[in-house]
Amino acid sequence: MAGKIKKLIDTLIEKRAQGNPSIASTTRTKLLLKGIDGKKYDEQSTDDPVVIASIMKIAEEMGISLKV
Amino acid sequence: MSVQVAKSQNPDPNGAADELLKSLSGSKPVMILFFASSVYNPDKISAAMKNAFPDATVMGSSTAGEIISGHMLKQSIVAMALDADVLKAVHADTIPLDSPKSIDTALNNLSGGFGSSPISLDPSKYVGIILFDGMSGAEERMMERIGDLTNIKVVGGSAGDDLAFSSTHIYLDGKAYSNTALLAILEPAAEFEILKTQSFCSLGRKLTPTKVDTESRKVLEFDGKPAVAAYAEALRVPSHEIASQFMKYPVGLMADGEPFVRSPQRVDGDAINFYCQVRQGVDLEILSSTDIVADTKSLIDDTNKKRPLAGIINFHCILRTLQLEQEGKTEEYGRIFSAIPTIGFSTYGEEYIGHINQTATMLVFYK
Repeated sequence: MAGKIKKLIDTLIEKRAQGNPSIASTTRTKLLLKGIDGKKYDEQSTDDPVVIASIMKIAEEMGISLKV
Repeated sequence: MSVQVAKSQNPDPNGAADELLKSLSGSKPVMILFFASSVYNPDKISAAMKNAFPDATVMGSSTAGEIISGHMLKQSIVAMALDADVLKAVHADTIPLDSPKSIDTALNNLSGGFGSSPISLDPSKYVGIILFDGMSGAEERMMERIGDLTNIKVVGGSAGDDLAFSSTHIYLDGKAYSNTALLAILEPAAEFEILKTQSFCSLGRKLTPTKVDTESRKVLEFDGKPAVAAYAEALRVPSHEIASQFMKYPVGLMADGEPFVRSPQRVDGDAINFYCQVRQGVDLEILSSTDIVADTKSLIDDTNKKRPLAGIINFHCILRTLQLEQEGKTEEYGRIFSAIPTIGFSTYGEEYIGHINQTATMLVFYK
């Protein structure tokens, strides 16, 4: 399976920013500083369970509900 | 007047506070922000400043050098008075760094002061200032948690102690604190912006941390090789020479082409200790230092042309100050801010979204 990581990252940013491009950009940087580099993942990226777990944990810390 | 700044080099805390009060006498400040050399007794300077300005929120920190319009100073105290035409309101609180949940409580309380929750605070209307005990090593954890809870931008620095690396202090309304952060949420009346500047260009060479001890800010391996050997290879110098190259060639975490600088502190066997946390698996680019004065002057001049600036609060890395001292450019740097009411200090780390190094983060208010 592939592409889940990009989808999770995109959904997290979308839910947090709610259409505000400045908040979207800041959220991308927050993820990067927490160790998730969005540029590294696309639709073909392998669904690494460690990375998925990290994103789920970050989402929980941000109060955002994500589904794998 | 909107924003006024003043300085004193009177070594007596009460005398210094009196001088500042006289210099700022035309002001009716909502907030007094001050940065004081570690030569001042922490309890006495905080008490003296609150006594001098009893009607304002009075906050600040100890430093590793002070900045005021036109000058970089040592063994002094600098202060900024923000009147109601620039700052509508401020709520500030101290946060004990040994209590993980305290940031949630503090941020809820501070937001509540504006009738809001942290996540509902409008980032175009509110901005945060944070000051850390510079010896705490707690900056990343706290900044990440703040970023989880709110969308407002928070800027600040880690307190210094004139390079003694012994104890640093945070000041709020007459008291002095250690192992503590201070978070203030401001509601500016004027428009504001956060500036971030670092004087580096990328060399186009990457290092990927493959084994790290995040909590102790240590990298054990880059690209599967011992950290020292890999860094030396990337810099194309012998391993025994890399420590002398760290200040000129740190690494950067690139976000939209902008580096968030991570500065190596020292070699520890085959590992490298950094001044901030480095995450495993996230690519870093080797940076090369450029001209701090030219880069900062360009940023301030361009910003001031866009719209005249009313005031600047400058959180300026001590490593930048040391570089300016080595190059004999401290007066030149101070002159960049001559025409704009500015205060700042040499920090043990800068804050903007996260914890960064070798950077100046600034909160600017427009006229």
